[in-house]
Amino acid sequence: MDVALRNVNMLPVRTWNRLGINDTGLQEKFSDPAPYRGKALAGSLPEGVSLTKKPFPVSDAETGMGKDTADFVESHSNCGVSLCAAAGTKAEKPVVLNYEISEKNPTVIDCNEITAEEGSEITVVMGYRSEGDVPGFHGGLTKLYAGKGAVIHLMQIQLLGDGCTHFDNVGAFAEEGGKIDIVQAELGGKHAFSGVKTRLGGTKSQLNMNAIYLGDHQRSIDINYIAQHTGRKTSSNINVSGALLDESQKTFRGTIDFVRGAKQAVGHENEYNLLFSPKVRNRTAPLILCQEEDVDGQHAASTGRIDAARLFYLMSRGLSEAEAKKLIIEAQFHPVIDRIPDMELKKEVSDFVKGRLSQLESMG
Amino acid sequence: MEKKKTMVKDIDRTIYDIKDKVHPSYEVKEGLTPEIVEEISKTKNDPKWMHDFRLKSLEIYNNLKVPDWGPSLDGLNMNDIVTYIRPDTPMRGNWAQVPDDIKNTFERLGIPEAERKSLAGVGAQYDSEVVYHNVREEVRRQGVVYTDMESAIRDPQYGSMVRDHFMKLVPPTDHKFAALHGAVWSGGSFVYVPPHVKVEIPLQSYFRLNAPGAGQFEHTLIILGEGADLHFIEGCSAPKYNVANLHAGCVELYVAKNAHLRYSTIENWSKNMYNLNTKRALVEEGGNMEWVSGSFGSHVSYLYPMSILNGENSRMEFTGITFAGKGQNLDTGAKVVHAAPHTYSDISTKSISKDGGTCTYRSSVVILPQAYGCKSSVNCESLMLDDRSRSDTIPVMDIQNDDVDVGHEAKIGRISDDAIFYLMSRGMSEEDARAMIVTGFAEPIAKELPVEYAVEMNNLIKLEMEGAIG
Amino acid sequence: MLLEIKNLKVSVDGNTILHGLNLNVGKGETHVLMGPNGAGKSTLVNTIMGHPEYKVDEGSIIFDGKDITHLPANERAKAGLFLSFQNPEEVPGVTLENFMRTSRMAITGKPVKLFAYKKELKEKMAELNMNDGYAERYLNVGFSGGEKKKSEILQMLMLNPKLAILDETDSGLDVDAVKIVSQGINQYKNKDNSLLIITHSAKILESLKVDYVHVLVDGKIVKTGGSELVGEIGRNGFQKIAAAAV
Repeated sequence: MDVALRNVNMLPVRTWNRLGINDTGLQEKFSDPAPYRGKALAGSLPEGVSLTKKPFPVSDAETGMGKDTADFVESHSNCGVSLCAAAGTKAEKPVVLNYEISEKNPTVIDCNEITAEEGSEITVVMGYRSEGDVPGFHGGLTKLYAGKGAVIHLMQIQLLGDGCTHFDNVGAFAEEGGKIDIVQAELGGKHAFSGVKTRLGGTKSQLNMNAIYLGDHQRSIDINYIAQHTGRKTSSNINVSGALLDESQKTFRGTIDFVRGAKQAVGHENEYNLLFSPKVRNRTAPLILCQEEDVDGQHAASTGRIDAARLFYLMSRGLSEAEAKKLIIEAQFHPVIDRIPDMELKKEVSDFVKGRLSQLESMG
Repeated sequence: MEKKKTMVKDIDRTIYDIKDKVHPSYEVKEGLTPEIVEEISKTKNDPKWMHDFRLKSLEIYNNLKVPDWGPSLDGLNMNDIVTYIRPDTPMRGNWAQVPDDIKNTFERLGIPEAERKSLAGVGAQYDSEVVYHNVREEVRRQGVVYTDMESAIRDPQYGSMVRDHFMKLVPPTDHKFAALHGAVWSGGSFVYVPPHVKVEIPLQSYFRLNAPGAGQFEHTLIILGEGADLHFIEGCSAPKYNVANLHAGCVELYVAKNAHLRYSTIENWSKNMYNLNTKRALVEEGGNMEWVSGSFGSHVSYLYPMSILNGENSRMEFTGITFAGKGQNLDTGAKVVHAAPHTYSDISTKSISKDGGTCTYRSSVVILPQAYGCKSSVNCESLMLDDRSRSDTIPVMDIQNDDVDVGHEAKIGRISDDAIFYLMSRGMSEEDARAMIVTGFAEPIAKELPVEYAVEMNNLIKLEMEGAIG
Repeated sequence: MLLEIKNLKVSVDGNTILHGLNLNVGKGETHVLMGPNGAGKSTLVNTIMGHPEYKVDEGSIIFDGKDITHLPANERAKAGLFLSFQNPEEVPGVTLENFMRTSRMAITGKPVKLFAYKKELKEKMAELNMNDGYAERYLNVGFSGGEKKKSEILQMLMLNPKLAILDETDSGLDVDAVKIVSQGINQYKNKDNSLLIITHSAKILESLKVDYVHVLVDGKIVKTGGSELVGEIGRNGFQKIAAAAV
């Protein structure tokens, strides 16, 4: 079947059309979704966490990639879970979901809802892989709701091969004292899209986002993160870092939105991009929208090659230029990879990155 | 613990009322007809190429859409504009109709009586004609050409140079208001500085205000020869009052190899104005372009001076401040395209919003594939003075090769209570403390301006902080 | 009595820090305030100066016969109070020179004769071993800890208050800087003005004639003595004194 999604990853406020960054589109042909063959859930659910049929606490949930994309997933999903962590539960182990795109599952469209009731804490890890370079399509929608004082840790790790198009669309909501903690690793796929919109409505709610991306060959990565502060004393911290090699390209839109009334809100965003080839393209739109005076908003972005002084330091300790570059990229990714609670997955990701970077040897 | 806010006296102002029919949305084709453009061309004695150019621009104008981003242009009344730019316009300024707050501001800023009238577009040029004339004499000795645009087009010596450059950097196809400008432009300055000539005194466009249309659709064309050096100052801090409410000017700057141009602007159009100005500079090898910009006036502004770094080792520096108060929606910023290797750009802006005003900082930094070894740094800081206002920062970077060093920083916040307390503990009233901090915030721009302008700008800020200016 | 503090109860964010504090400072006197961290020393001095975050729940502050308990900070400065901050604010875009001139005009209410003022400034800066260039630098921006403290003392000398409160002026200073700051303090001090010094170390007090030493524990002054108390605290710490006060 065909899909043509519009207004994908839309910037909350438009700018010059010539820059081609106001939004993007997603057009793909893929195999009709059939129910997912295999068990996505690894092991059992931790105590206090159950599959639920209750409707998601927020209707018309807004997502980072937009309505078109969310509607698409909801009407075509062939897998996914609706989880609920009961009030007061601190789940003793993460919920791990593994999806593999293969000839028998060329299309994975997962629709997920995660609700953490008051005072609970839950970790959900979603891993997406593929069998070599088999053509495939993954589209996911994940809605998160952190109740009063609840914590949700979400990790979305994408390690797809060159034959896949992938997207992850997330909409998150936090009540008073709620905390949303998201880790996204966009490390594969021919075209990767990711959009996360978080509404910090409850007083003192928090958002923490850490994302890493790796582009090589002709990969394209398109990201849209929005932290919307409506509650008082809310805080958001978004960190994105990655590397682009060969002819890859990446577009990152990051918005900190202080809505009137979000007194004493704090929003910080940091972006760090390493570029390795003259043919890459890196686009960034770091927005701060503000209607409230009593806030602290900061954004810093830096783009370029590896710092020459740092490279020299490593080489003066014996590493070749290629080894030094690999080390620096791995070091950049390390804090994020380290947070993956599942040891096997952690190793898998490290190896995946190492494998991709081995081509740096030939770059010298 | 209640955080005290400065009580800003809210002076009731009556904004000038355009009494004619008010159209709810901007009209596309009506109003501006080829006949009117023909009339304008005839009155100005345009050479044929300019006459044709105007008509072609009108065609382009009719086919372009109004931008779908940025502040609303719904209040723009095209019929009035059209009426105003007719050479035989019945619409003329009348001192009695000039709003009181404008008159008061002239008083507060110490503008002499005669200048007030000229700034309000209601009087003849007193004194400034004379001063202007003297300035021209001085620079003429250096071989500098400084004349009005209409004369420049017809000049036997420079006419072809003007024709070769006129609206080539900002073509009418660029956007709707560039096309409008191409059709109805009037007035403005042409400056040519021969190679290796350094113009010691800044040239000021202030002297150029004259009758209907001019000042609103003025075209400034500055061409610097190789190694030349010029500082050009546009505008002034006194509010420029105009009967019709659109300013669609155009500034084209050509900075040749190793030349240096500093273009300073303090813009304080009256608060009913739509300021849709297009400024662009083309910088060749080793050239250096500096923009200094203070935006205080207008109801709505779209202003993004753009620099094209076309030659190796060329550079651009932009320093600007935008202050949006009640009823203002100022959308300003800068654009730069790195089209050659080893180029450098630095954008540093500050913005202040208060009293329900909206400030938007909008920028784009594009580094093309062939522009290796470039460095770009963007720094924008926004100050919110209350929770009724709005401040948005919308920067975009498009980097198309890896041999770059691009940094970006943005900050937004309010005046810190600790800073106010510190200044108050040294005797200043809360109001004075705030004004001092805001003036300090604007300091980086003030220090780039000639002293009189810096002083005027600081006075302007003080007045804004007191809520005295409309 | 220059400063009379009666039964002062102060809270921040709903937490009471000072629990009914009493303190009197007479004209020409030098008082020292010591106490463990968190005792409320900074709270006290910030409250005296009128920091909006500190709420006076009960009690009063009378300065030079005037009740300043609820006056804004600038009125207190005009009355003759000065606070040398522990962590002075950085104010970008405002030069040190411009700032002090404006401050003096605000406090005296009289215009400042530029030439004489600049001369005086230059002299005082030289006495504090401060490079001329500081006057043109933005207020405290990029100043090292020591430079910030000297900038505070410079302001004190230029404004010549009736009561100067020094909040840990000596912390973070090297030996030479402490000497210079002490000199500055001595220069300021005469028989008509007064000092209230918060400090942890005895170094800065060595060259001063200290009249009273107060120990502040848990939001109250638990002991008052002469300069010998400084040595006692240096040897035994606060524990004994605090325990005895309970």
